[in-house]
Amino acid sequence: MVANIQEKSLYLPRLAKMTKKERFTEKEMFFEFRFDDGSNLNHRPGQFVELSIYGIGEAPISISSSPTQQGYFELCVRAVGRVTNYLHKNLDVGSYVGIRGPFGNGFPYEKFKGYDMLFICGGLGVAPLRSLINYTLDKTKRNEFGKVYILYGCKNNQEWLYQKEVESWLNRADVETYLTVDKCTDSNWKGNVGVITTLIPKVNFDVNKTIAVICGPPVMYKFVVLELKNRNFKEENIYMSLERKMKCGVGKCGHCQINNVYVCQSGPVFDLPTVRKLQEAI
Amino acid sequence: MEEYVISLEGIKGLLENLTREGFNIYAPSKNNDRFVKVKDIDEVALFPDRRPTDISAKECLFPKCEPVFYYKREKNNVEIVDIDPNGNKVLFGLKPCDAASFTIIHKVFNWDYKDKFYNKRFDNSLIIGLACTYLDDYCFCTSVGLSPVSTVGSDILLVRLSDVSFGVIVITDKGGQLVKRYPQLFEKGEPTKSKQVLDSIGGPARKFDHKKVKEWLDNNFETDFFNSIGDICVGCGQCTFVCPTCHCFDIVDEDYLYSEGRRMKNWDGCQFYLFTLHASGHNPRDTQYKRYRQRVNHKFKYYVDRFQEVLCTGCGRCSRGCPVSIDIGDIVSRISKLS
Ligand SMILES: Cc1cc2nc3c(=O)[nH]c(=O)nc-3n(C[C@H](O)[C@H](O)[C@H](O)COP(=O)(O)OP(=O)(O)OC[C@H]3O[C@@H](n4cnc5c(N)ncnc54)[C@H](O)[C@@H]3O)c2cc1C
Ligand code: SF4
Ligand code: SF4
Ligand code: FES
Repeated sequence: MVANIQEKSLYLPRLAKMTKKERFTEKEMFFEFRFDDGSNLNHRPGQFVELSIYGIGEAPISISSSPTQQGYFELCVRAVGRVTNYLHKNLDVGSYVGIRGPFGNGFPYEKFKGYDMLFICGGLGVAPLRSLINYTLDKTKRNEFGKVYILYGCKNNQEWLYQKEVESWLNRADVETYLTVDKCTDSNWKGNVGVITTLIPKVNFDVNKTIAVICGPPVMYKFVVLELKNRNFKEENIYMSLERKMKCGVGKCGHCQINNVYVCQSGPVFDLPTVRKLQEAI
Repeated sequence: MEEYVISLEGIKGLLENLTREGFNIYAPSKNNDRFVKVKDIDEVALFPDRRPTDISAKECLFPKCEPVFYYKREKNNVEIVDIDPNGNKVLFGLKPCDAASFTIIHKVFNWDYKDKFYNKRFDNSLIIGLACTYLDDYCFCTSVGLSPVSTVGSDILLVRLSDVSFGVIVITDKGGQLVKRYPQLFEKGEPTKSKQVLDSIGGPARKFDHKKVKEWLDNNFETDFFNSIGDICVGCGQCTFVCPTCHCFDIVDEDYLYSEGRRMKNWDGCQFYLFTLHASGHNPRDTQYKRYRQRVNHKFKYYVDRFQEVLCTGCGRCSRGCPVSIDIGDIVSRISKLS
């Protein structure tokens, strides 16, 4: 574990050890990592890390745990390409990966204090939102927020991520959780069937004191926003985490640029009025 | 600004002395394709009237491929060795459109996080510019706030007074110290003489107002203007690679035998489909016209919004080299007339 560092380089990862690995679905796995010196990542909910596997490459991954969870951090990763498949197939508990970050702005949760929270997660979008959900539901923070609504949709019944936690949300008296599947593949499923926008009319939120936070596949944003607007949601109370191709994470390489904004630095979290001004954003 | 005169022999002597001091000299190669490390000082040519090198001087401070660290791994053990770019460089004979590019891209490498690879090379370099008398249909430096005699980005600027004598304009402290280190090579000059030369150079024929370009881009994102360019452009990315101000890059690993290797920072370009392709399959710039629109907007609008500078020095390289004759100078001059 020797690193010969003469001056701080932006591209130099810290080593972190995989301490848990668990399969969620065919494509998605859950990972816990720790730094050998026990230090925290010191992130904000909504930030991401650049995870690297030496010899394979680097990929931006949202931090899925809350900063209130100390001593470790968690990621939920879908296997789609080189880095993510290698992580799934070739690395086991005890292996080291490289971590740069945390990067990005994260959610401005200080501004959300006193508000009711409406989380709208589509598929893997639950990974970054879980960081803020866990933060909001943490016993040391829960009283800083009002009501909590969680809307979570998946393609089918085999696709649930964080199933045990979703069950615990369902069981909590201080959380209203609504689930849906686009297509029902389990005959025992008694919940909603349909895209995530079909859940919104079921929720009785107060548009004057609710913040909506959205994360999901790019197609989802437009429809969710339309549905919220139908309910007279204020644009400035809608926040979203944007996906971009990213490489450096530090506002240099240009991949994530939309207009004059580097999403890796000024994002990935934006409020809707800002997104409206950024052409090509969604 | 202080002025001196140096003879052709004096310049050779200066380069020899700098080599002795430990500087590596970079100058245009014999066939003018790029800036190369000079082995024989006698081969350094001082032709202000030759066209800009095919590839800009950018690669001297921001190489097209460079390792950012080395690693070795053995089972669960990983060893990482950081790299420090070292070595002092003299970049010699840069046209003002090359010298100015460093002032411009310096901003992106320093606006928040600092990129030590660029910064260390920049700090350890001395930039000797050469006023330009080559003007062709492609260049447009005077339309982006520069000129063939602009001092921006150079530590000293040479001006050819005759075949054997050059005016020396001292621009930065670094440049001043250079003159002080070798007083025997520099004579106190007469500013009027070089001014006469400078005045006689004029500028390229193509002229437009870059503020008007921005004005139009500010209000016209969704437009048909770029459609036909998108149809013609083959997306080869040549324009981004030869450009002195384009600065996008990729980060990839090069592995040898799965046990040791290096992580590389390689030039990348916004004209490629893969540049913005998300892993999910979604691509916000899925067609060529959107990618060309990005290039023009980045250079004449986004960079100006963010860093108050046009991301273009008007060198004309991208147009000279384009396989399908797309000419950015022509495109932005047309845009300037639309607003
Ligand atoms: C801010 C941010 C947060 C993110 N958070 C998460 C997260 O929490 N969890 C998560 O899972 N992802 C997340 N992502 C997406 C993640 O970064 C990408 O999935 C990841 O970069 C893929 O890296 P890779 O090296 O595995 O894929 P790459 O090898 O780079 O592959 C990328 C693309 O190429 C295709 N591809 C790769 N190999 C092949 C092949 N052999 N043949 C054909 N096609 C191929 C893939 O299908 C994919 O479309 C996030 C992205 C961003 C920007
Ligand atoms: S050099 Fe010409 S063809 Fe190639 S990407 Fe640039 S504009 Fe398109
Ligand atoms: S955009 Fe073209 S003209 Fe402008 S600096 Fe780059 S290569 Fe030169
Ligand atoms: S990821 Fe490199 S600039 Fe944002």
